[in-house]
Amino acid sequence: MQIEASLWNASWATDGGRMQISLSYAPFEARYRGFDVARCSVDKSSDMNQCYASHYWWNEVKKFRVKEMELSFTQGRWRYEQWGGFDPLSSNNAKPPGVELWAVFDVPQSLVDVYWRNLTHTLSGLFCASINFLESSTTYSAPELTFKPSFGNLRYGTLPREAVCTENLTPWLKLLPCRDKAGLSALMDRPSIYRGFYHSQRLRLTSSESGSDEVDSGIGLEQTLTVVLQPSSWRTGKTYSVETNIQPSWSISSIFGRNIPGKCVIAKSSNVYLHLDNGLVGELKNLERENAKYVANTFESEGFQSNHAFKISVTPDKVFEEVDYLHGKSTSVIYGFSVEKYSDSQPFDLGLTWKIPVVWSCQQAPLHASRFLMGSGNERGAIAISLESTESSEGLPTSHIIDGRCELRVDIFQVVPWYIKVYFHTLQVFVDKQPRAMADVVDKIRVSPSKDKVSPGVMEMILKLPCGSKSAAFSLEFDKGFLHIDEYPPDANQGFDIPSALISFPSFNARMNFSEDEFLNNSPILSKFQETSPVLSYTEVLLIPLTTPDFSMPYNVITITCTVFALYFGSLLNVLRRRVDEEERILRSRAGRKAGWISQLLSRLSAKLRGRPQEQPTSSLPYSFISFRLVLKILLVASIAVTWQYYFG
Amino acid sequence: MLADDMACNARNKYPAQVFNNENHKLNLYGDNVEVDYHGYEVTVENFLRVLTGRHEAAVPRSKRLLSDEGSHILLYMTGHGGDEFLKFQDSEELQSHDLADAVKQMKEKHRFKELLIMVDTCQAATLFSQLHSPGVLAIGSSMKGENSYSHHLDSDVGVSVVDRFTFYTLAFFEKLNMYDNASLSSLFTSYNPTLLMSTTYYRTDLYQRKLEEVSVTNFFGSVMETIHTDSAYRTTHSRKTSETKMPLQESVKHDERRQLINSNVQDQTSDTKIEDKQCPFTRRWNAFQDKLEKIERIDSLVNYGFIIMFPLLLIIMFPLLLISTWLLPTFVS
Repeated sequence: MQIEASLWNASWATDGGRMQISLSYAPFEARYRGFDVARCSVDKSSDMNQCYASHYWWNEVKKFRVKEMELSFTQGRWRYEQWGGFDPLSSNNAKPPGVELWAVFDVPQSLVDVYWRNLTHTLSGLFCASINFLESSTTYSAPELTFKPSFGNLRYGTLPREAVCTENLTPWLKLLPCRDKAGLSALMDRPSIYRGFYHSQRLRLTSSESGSDEVDSGIGLEQTLTVVLQPSSWRTGKTYSVETNIQPSWSISSIFGRNIPGKCVIAKSSNVYLHLDNGLVGELKNLERENAKYVANTFESEGFQSNHAFKISVTPDKVFEEVDYLHGKSTSVIYGFSVEKYSDSQPFDLGLTWKIPVVWSCQQAPLHASRFLMGSGNERGAIAISLESTESSEGLPTSHIIDGRCELRVDIFQVVPWYIKVYFHTLQVFVDKQPRAMADVVDKIRVSPSKDKVSPGVMEMILKLPCGSKSAAFSLEFDKGFLHIDEYPPDANQGFDIPSALISFPSFNARMNFSEDEFLNNSPILSKFQETSPVLSYTEVLLIPLTTPDFSMPYNVITITCTVFALYFGSLLNVLRRRVDEEERILRSRAGRKAGWISQLLSRLSAKLRGRPQEQPTSSLPYSFISFRLVLKILLVASIAVTWQYYFG
Repeated sequence: MLADDMACNARNKYPAQVFNNENHKLNLYGDNVEVDYHGYEVTVENFLRVLTGRHEAAVPRSKRLLSDEGSHILLYMTGHGGDEFLKFQDSEELQSHDLADAVKQMKEKHRFKELLIMVDTCQAATLFSQLHSPGVLAIGSSMKGENSYSHHLDSDVGVSVVDRFTFYTLAFFEKLNMYDNASLSSLFTSYNPTLLMSTTYYRTDLYQRKLEEVSVTNFFGSVMETIHTDSAYRTTHSRKTSETKMPLQESVKHDERRQLINSNVQDQTSDTKIEDKQCPFTRRWNAFQDKLEKIERIDSLVNYGFIIMFPLLLIIMFPLLLISTWLLPTFVS
């Protein structure tokens, strides 16, 4: 290890040649002082891991060493029955309530927990949320089968009861280049967003360091805000009139109270898309066919702005129609609007007015997953997951058929806190309401049993269900544990949460297929829709009442115990110390001692003042308070105090 | 620190909005609200950690009180309270002596120059009865034995939206113009006990400056006069030069540290003026006190003091001991 000094005479170093080095001053001498090397020395290369610890400053540069991370804040539950579960929108954007965080780290496995801890604290400071509660090992887990292979470097944690409000949205918006001042994010009127049925803000960070030609090394940040709103007919005071029976019309200004004032200057592109999902498109086509006289204004005709069913206030710049490889499946349509040509003076406002009543349903995941608790009492219970087949299992891909049997693969990932002590041997499987043996249905199961106060119980299962099954159910029994009195939250009697389970269907792809178009490559949201990703769905959060202690008991115990001790010791001391006739002896001995002359003087003086005859001094000033023994005791205690202060202070 | 999530609560008819008045004109939960501790994190322990600055290493900066010896801190507490305590989350209490100890630690660690504590609870004045650190000003909405009441009920939202003390504080500030230069004494005397239904009590014995001279922007927001200058920025002088007198023109550059240094200088000059008028004993006593204040390693001085004290005591007490135990009885008896 060495330091080198060199002189540069190039034009860039000499201010364009103006300040050249004058070699007449040669030889040049360089002196160094205070050369301090920060190093981490190891004896063998196997000890290198300690050099990755966070207290070395060189690890501060990529401080968190996060390779991939996803953080979501959600309030509300995604209603799969009404809002669909199959399309990429619901698959990717439906998140469990509360905070969900998972992260993959780029450090040796022994250090992942330390980095996870630092990450949770930093995120809690950044987003004004209590993400720092995820630092304790009882809240996070390390799944291996559910997320992409990570070789033990992935950590997953969720806080089901975290409230999400303006203070979480504002820092999230501040990560955008134009914050919430320009572009699409200027639409974010907080009361309108939080009035919705469901809102979820998601942040996904990918850090690629591979120096390959195609992929630049860098950090990619993807932020998604998903809101489910009702066109606010009650905001204006009108109620949704049942007589007309038409679904409510809406516009951006009626939902958010604002328009889009043009695009953010730094953005490469800024687009608004209106997605008519395939259920709606199918319904409209059916209605068209029934009312053949409306042939002139068909849905697929040129005039997209208005047809027999609805009218849009702005002409779309581009129309994408999904290409469907499987016949019979209706396709969805996306209208794209570019915000670039709009500005502050001419804001963008998209509105849709319905003309006829249409009823449609969104496509759902092949099986509808729900979870509930069984049993009663505060001692034990059971968790049950039920999967019900929905009508929309249209056309399974042929890759399902293995060995002549058609199988539907379902992955289940569930984390249960340690105080719900699950007995994995009681796992029972029912298919079509008939009990089945585990080996028939369960292909792979990975279980990490909980340790009291240390880690939660993690269960990852891969199931293969027969294709035609209408329903499947699992039940798992548990015992309720006891918490220490300090571990109870202030509202302990509300209950405790079991976080959502994640059910995924890897055989089904939630994606939209569009015909090749170079516009699509410029649109991140549409290219995301075209990515192959499994259909995901989250179950409900379960609320479990646990036995709570009487929180006033410590106070009661202290009071009672102290009273008992006081009575016992008081009376014991009294009894031990007192001797019979002792008081009389004391009085006699005091009388025997002559009173000091000061007190004699005083008593004579008082007697004279009062005019009474002088009495014999009966008691004297107790000299005992200056007795030698007492002085010794004081000295001893004081010396102990001084030595204590000196050594421990 | 907000213990409950009121704005985005499912029961709030106006989500993401918190009003202070029935007319719903002012939304207090604006777009830039920052809540560092919420929910289960609002505990007495975290509160005291924030005040004293004793956090774990991993705690991020936004959750720390990054104050130094020139800071003015406003501490506003509201909720339920009683005689010498304030309730936290329905399960914990902050006691007045804990608060006083925390403030004392803050003073010793030079974490504030001036601190204003406003408490709006029942029997609020008892919460700061144990304070004894200098530079602290405290006002409470009610005295011992009195309750503090809410102002009015908003039947639309379904709860009482604001307490009386808070309401009249807000009303005072809404009436002010930015450059009004109102003083703290005008704020403290603006509370009408009949309207508040309780007596506000404030203590100024720990606060050196006169309330009439302190403007409200000392604690509530700040109005800074900026003076544009083309000259280069010079860094502040180190502490050692604080003893030298700074020319008055340089004090125009508004830098809080410089203002602190200036006031130190002025204190010294005023001290020297007063000294001449005092008799020698008080002068020596003041000099001794000043020396005591300037001593940095108080701990070692105390330790040495303890050790020296005993021989001293023995020397002093020995004759007395002799007299009282041996000589006197022989004389008397």
